[in-house]
Amino acid sequence: MQAKAWKANFTTLTIVLIPVAVGINYVGKFFAATLKLPLWLDSIGTVLSGMLAGPWIGAISGAVNNAIFGITLDPVSFWYLITSIMIGLVVGYLAFTGWIRTPGRALVLGLVVAGVAAVVSTPINVLLWHGQTGNVWGDALYAALVHRGTPVWIASFLDEAVVDILDKVITVFLSFLIYKALPARLVKLFGGAHQEVESL
Amino acid sequence: MALIEVQDLRYRYPDQQGLALDGISFSVEPGEFVGIIGPNRAGKSTLCQALVGLVPHFYKGAIGGRVVADGLDVHKHPVAEVARRVGLVFQNPFTQISGAKFTVYEEVAFGLENAGVPREEMIPRIEEALRLLGLEELKDRSPFALSGGQMQRLAIASVLAMRPKVLVLDEPTSQLDPEGTGEVFAAMAALCRQGMAVVVAEHKVERLAPLAGKILVLHAGRRVAFDSPRRVFAREDLPALGVAVPPVTEAARRLGWRFEDGTYPVTTEEAEELARKNLVAAGGGGGGRG
Amino acid sequence: MQLSLYVPGKTWVHRLDPITKLLAVLVAVVLTFVLPGFFSQAGILLVSLAMLGSAGVLRRAAPVLAGVFILPLTFFVVQGLVYPGNVHPAVALGPVVFYREGLLLGLSLTLRLYNILSAALILVLVTRPSDLVEALVRRGAPPRLGYVMIAVLQIIPIMVASTQTILDAQRSRGMETEGSLWVRIRAFLPLMGPLVTNSLISTEERALALEVRGFAGGGKRTFLKDEQIPPYAMAMRILVLAALVLGIGGRWLWGWR
Ligand SMILES: Nc1ncnc2c1ncn2[C@@H]1O[C@H](COP(=O)(O)OP(=O)(O)O)[C@@H](O)[C@H]1O
Ligand SMILES: [Mg+2]
Repeated sequence: MQAKAWKANFTTLTIVLIPVAVGINYVGKFFAATLKLPLWLDSIGTVLSGMLAGPWIGAISGAVNNAIFGITLDPVSFWYLITSIMIGLVVGYLAFTGWIRTPGRALVLGLVVAGVAAVVSTPINVLLWHGQTGNVWGDALYAALVHRGTPVWIASFLDEAVVDILDKVITVFLSFLIYKALPARLVKLFGGAHQEVESL
Repeated sequence: MALIEVQDLRYRYPDQQGLALDGISFSVEPGEFVGIIGPNRAGKSTLCQALVGLVPHFYKGAIGGRVVADGLDVHKHPVAEVARRVGLVFQNPFTQISGAKFTVYEEVAFGLENAGVPREEMIPRIEEALRLLGLEELKDRSPFALSGGQMQRLAIASVLAMRPKVLVLDEPTSQLDPEGTGEVFAAMAALCRQGMAVVVAEHKVERLAPLAGKILVLHAGRRVAFDSPRRVFAREDLPALGVAVPPVTEAARRLGWRFEDGTYPVTTEEAEELARKNLVAAGGGGGGRG
Repeated sequence: MQLSLYVPGKTWVHRLDPITKLLAVLVAVVLTFVLPGFFSQAGILLVSLAMLGSAGVLRRAAPVLAGVFILPLTFFVVQGLVYPGNVHPAVALGPVVFYREGLLLGLSLTLRLYNILSAALILVLVTRPSDLVEALVRRGAPPRLGYVMIAVLQIIPIMVASTQTILDAQRSRGMETEGSLWVRIRAFLPLMGPLVTNSLISTEERALALEVRGFAGGGKRTFLKDEQIPPYAMAMRILVLAALVLGIGGRWLWGWR
């Protein structure tokens, strides 16, 4: 099962999925902003593409997402490319091993994704901005911690984690609901379930 | 030799029990216009896709029989190769826009770039395709800024620029308004007049009947008939199969207006012709007044 | 809505080929890390701004640069207050004391941010995205990746346009999109769900349509447009690489900052 999870799954269909995933990310962010939610919800597409087409397509969706926004609307997002890649990889891998079956596991996956995102983003935050994230709540925590003598690395990790946990748990859970609502036939087609043509 | 030769084609989608295509045979000659009709889920789309090899190469599943397109065994060659001989246009104009190009002109070039057509050859091909579909004036527009009918004509032009021998269209007007439908039918008729073989799956039988040389009737994956429109629409079993008949034919049947061979008119022109003949026959003794 | 911020034009920066511009941007970004000193940072920033100026896009750059102001603000506040190396008080606002070391760090972080931004803007504002992608594909980047990049730029405006339709439709059916946090959270899925599901379903037909246009062919490909590289591009590339070598050499041989 594990070897299969890492198998390349680059078909026309999964390639076409990538821009759609990036679009979904953007729309999620847009609706979250329209509804004034205190969350980003800007990686639903990356998570879905990982669930549907596996770790590689998930990772590429994440990378393309940040690369495109990096060279268009938000140059800073380029630096968090690796974070997005990791989200796609982790979700895709666990989806393709068949691990994500129940809503309970989707919640656990959300926590895993939040942890991974925080771990990967922290060095970037430290390298770029001395550990800050630019998120008001996270940075308030950061300031309080650093003020009490907590090392910058740890303060930075907590700064990021505070911001990520709720966001990523909800992101993964919503993606799971949407994934479950898709026609089974389409899910199999994305997953490359059938590789051989039989003869009649 | 026929451009397309389908022999005893059988196909089953993955994870399915029944056959989506069950023993289909027919052929398409150069310059011919073939209509495919049948109720929903009869297998029209599956058959169209089988003519370019998307069935089975894209969907996998199980296949039997043969499809030969312009001498190429479709089951043994990749879609990209078959696509240079057989063009396929789909239902939804919007999803056929590649998304990789910013103008109508570039959109038509997309397939040619993929196929590695040299640049000098590309330009005349694009211009010809745009001209045939009446899109010259729109060439610098964004493909997404077109109306449904224009978008569908762009999809046809994009496939046409690949210079296929046969153009296959799967319900190309089902998502269009009457104006768009008219545009697309006019384009298909014009292409056929220029010698292109056209195969089209279509519900609008009254528009199909005047153009088609032959009509293939599908039901539950099986071929029910493959014949001229007059003979196909004269069949008694069509309503029971859920296949629509042109309103003229329906009316003529009720009135009992038949040609000598027992068929009914399928177009208004034929109905007029028949009416004139009947009038002459009926009014023969009384002396014509017109 | 237009995702790309590209401003069409005919200046020498516009006519410079995408690869040369990409090289210049990369070098500028690398140099901001190689030479973190105040004067080097300011110097690199000036060069980037000068390029933006001679491309006639400073006015379009300004809102982007101003738009991120919150980030430098937090740099100054947070580092000024709590930077571990803080020793010398600089400004006191009542009980709140900002330290010089922290404020200086804030300033250098700010310069770095604006350096990265301005360099990137040379690519973003003055290069047509499809030209950049095509230039990369000509040099061996996978064509399918090129497709993905361009398709993203097209798909996002289209999806954003449909969000408005969905918002209007759901509101007219009585969905509340304002009110308590819980009400707003509950509105999210009904807004997102249909759009996401439909766009995933339509990928199937788009993939089919691409296949019949030879997308998966994998043979040699050709390009509709000829590549235009102005004669001065070579000089520019050499200049940029020289700057990189000088910067790195200066840092490690002569201790520049
Ligand atoms: N991708 C698919 N996977 C499984 N079954 C399919 C698929 N596409 C169509 N079918 C089934 O194949 C049969 C023929 O469908 P189709 O060719 O779409 O008919 P039509 O175009 O005439 O409506 C139907 O029973 C349909 O449910
Ligand atoms: Mg159909």
